Amino acid sequence: MNAATASFLAYTAILIAIGLWSYRIVEKVPIAKYEQEFYAAGRGLGGVVVAMIIAGGLASAGTFIAGPGMTYEYGYSWVLINNFQIFMNLMLLAPIGIIVGIVARRVNAITYLDLFRARYQSKAIVVVLAILVTVFLLPYMATQFVGAARVISQMTGMGYFASLALGSLVVLVYCVLGGMRGTSIATLLQGIVITVGCIVLFIGTVHYAGGFERSTEILASQDLKFLSPTRNGEFPPAFAFSIACLSGYFVVGMPHAMLGALTYKNTKALKRGIWMGAILVLLWTLLLCVAGVIGRSIKPDLAVSDEICPWLAMHVVPEALGGIVLAGIVAGIQTTVAAMAIIITSSLARNLLKELKPGISGSAVKSASRLTMGACLAIAMALALLQPPLIQWIIFFSIGGLEAATFGPILLGMFWKRGNKWGALASISWGMIIYALGNTLAPQVGLLGTHPSLVSVVSAVILYVVVSLVTPEPREEVAHTFWGKPVEA
Amino acid sequence: MKFSEDPRIRVGRRCLALAWLYYSIYLLALMVFSYVFGTTPRFLGLPGWVAIGNIVVPVIFVAALIVVAEKLIPDIPLSGSDETSEEVE
Repeated sequence: MNAATASFLAYTAILIAIGLWSYRIVEKVPIAKYEQEFYAAGRGLGGVVVAMIIAGGLASAGTFIAGPGMTYEYGYSWVLINNFQIFMNLMLLAPIGIIVGIVARRVNAITYLDLFRARYQSKAIVVVLAILVTVFLLPYMATQFVGAARVISQMTGMGYFASLALGSLVVLVYCVLGGMRGTSIATLLQGIVITVGCIVLFIGTVHYAGGFERSTEILASQDLKFLSPTRNGEFPPAFAFSIACLSGYFVVGMPHAMLGALTYKNTKALKRGIWMGAILVLLWTLLLCVAGVIGRSIKPDLAVSDEICPWLAMHVVPEALGGIVLAGIVAGIQTTVAAMAIIITSSLARNLLKELKPGISGSAVKSASRLTMGACLAIAMALALLQPPLIQWIIFFSIGGLEAATFGPILLGMFWKRGNKWGALASISWGMIIYALGNTLAPQVGLLGTHPSLVSVVSAVILYVVVSLVTPEPREEVAHTFWGKPVEA
Repeated sequence: MKFSEDPRIRVGRRCLALAWLYYSIYLLALMVFSYVFGTTPRFLGLPGWVAIGNIVVPVIFVAALIVVAEKLIPDIPLSGSDETSEEVE
């Protein structure tokens, strides 16, 4: 066993211990408060953990594997595109964090769909969204497992399947046993490991390449496109802007990002979550993506671009530190999977189940939660066996689909009293149809070279407004619950 | 019942406007410096647009966010009454 494998196994053992410890905490909670503890960690998370949950949840294999893979493949143009995601925490917590924090406490919402239920009072919306969240997040989760398996395989020399099992089973342990409590503690450890890993990898790569100047000269001699902000027109500003919308303005439509907004303790935690999250995502994104481009000047002939980060970790830093880097990359992926597992499970085992079986007991929901989480992770692992090539495009596909369906209903639903369930249903359906067409039969939906999600989201928002205005207003109690306080006339 | 808006909702709306404005300015700065600066001259051995637009600009905006978030987002209670008293952590 080499030093890298040993340090990775030590990291994995700590995560399993966290899972077992969290399980003891969660099991002591009375059944009446079990769901709040399992899905929202008792709504008591501080700023550092909130920052890491949102940043770690949103910065997925797309940042840790595919981001450097894209910069390796396309050069510095993708450093620019990845930099649009730096303010994800700001764009989630500032726009809706406060109102979600207030309303979630009023209506005792502990899941993403609880908020939709309270706002639109529609069983249909909850059922449709539970299905959509599952359909889009499962392949997204699978890409995360693919990324993790590739890293572990490169590091340990194990086969793909064994690597997949090692990287994913540990998530299964701490998520299923510890729920959000286990996830939050694990995320804290993982955030530290990720950050140290990124710094070590960046310094090692720049040093190995002989500095920026030398690396830039080599890249220029390979292909000047690597130094262009648009790759000589291949990624025009319109495309870049649509990606900025996807990872900036529309990020409130990401269900697994909502975990931070549902679990933060108070506004001090919210503010720290915003700026600490920005620091973390800046470090992770910039260091890894620049390392990816510089990696091209060191090793120009990798068959699979997504393997540049693991390759660098194994070749440009000392062996033991390489283990920390790889543990950091896998940790970044695991935080995303954990957040998604919590969201899918809450959608199915709490919201969908309660809509279909209103009188279900607390202990039945408890069992269903763990069973559903185990099943979802197992399905995602099975999908990961397909081993797609560049996973970034699948990630964009899933993000775009989720945002097309939920951006309008969540953002306008939180601020516009006139918005109603008909507007939300129309917006979800339209967003899905246009997005599906844009990705299949009608690629021209991507106007001026933009990603299809831009037109899907904007047109779905317009439809939400129009349909809400021509259909009956929501009940008065909704306005009182969300934005007001009852006052005697 | 007469509808009376919770004053904390106004804080929520201000935060929405603040976030979208801040991100829009960042986006503008990032794109202007990236597309206008060109690949030469080189700074620190990197193409000019990378060094200025994609390293200096994000670092400045992230540093400024610490002040913006701490100063412009007020501390308000999230549960109970809608009084605007400071919340103690």
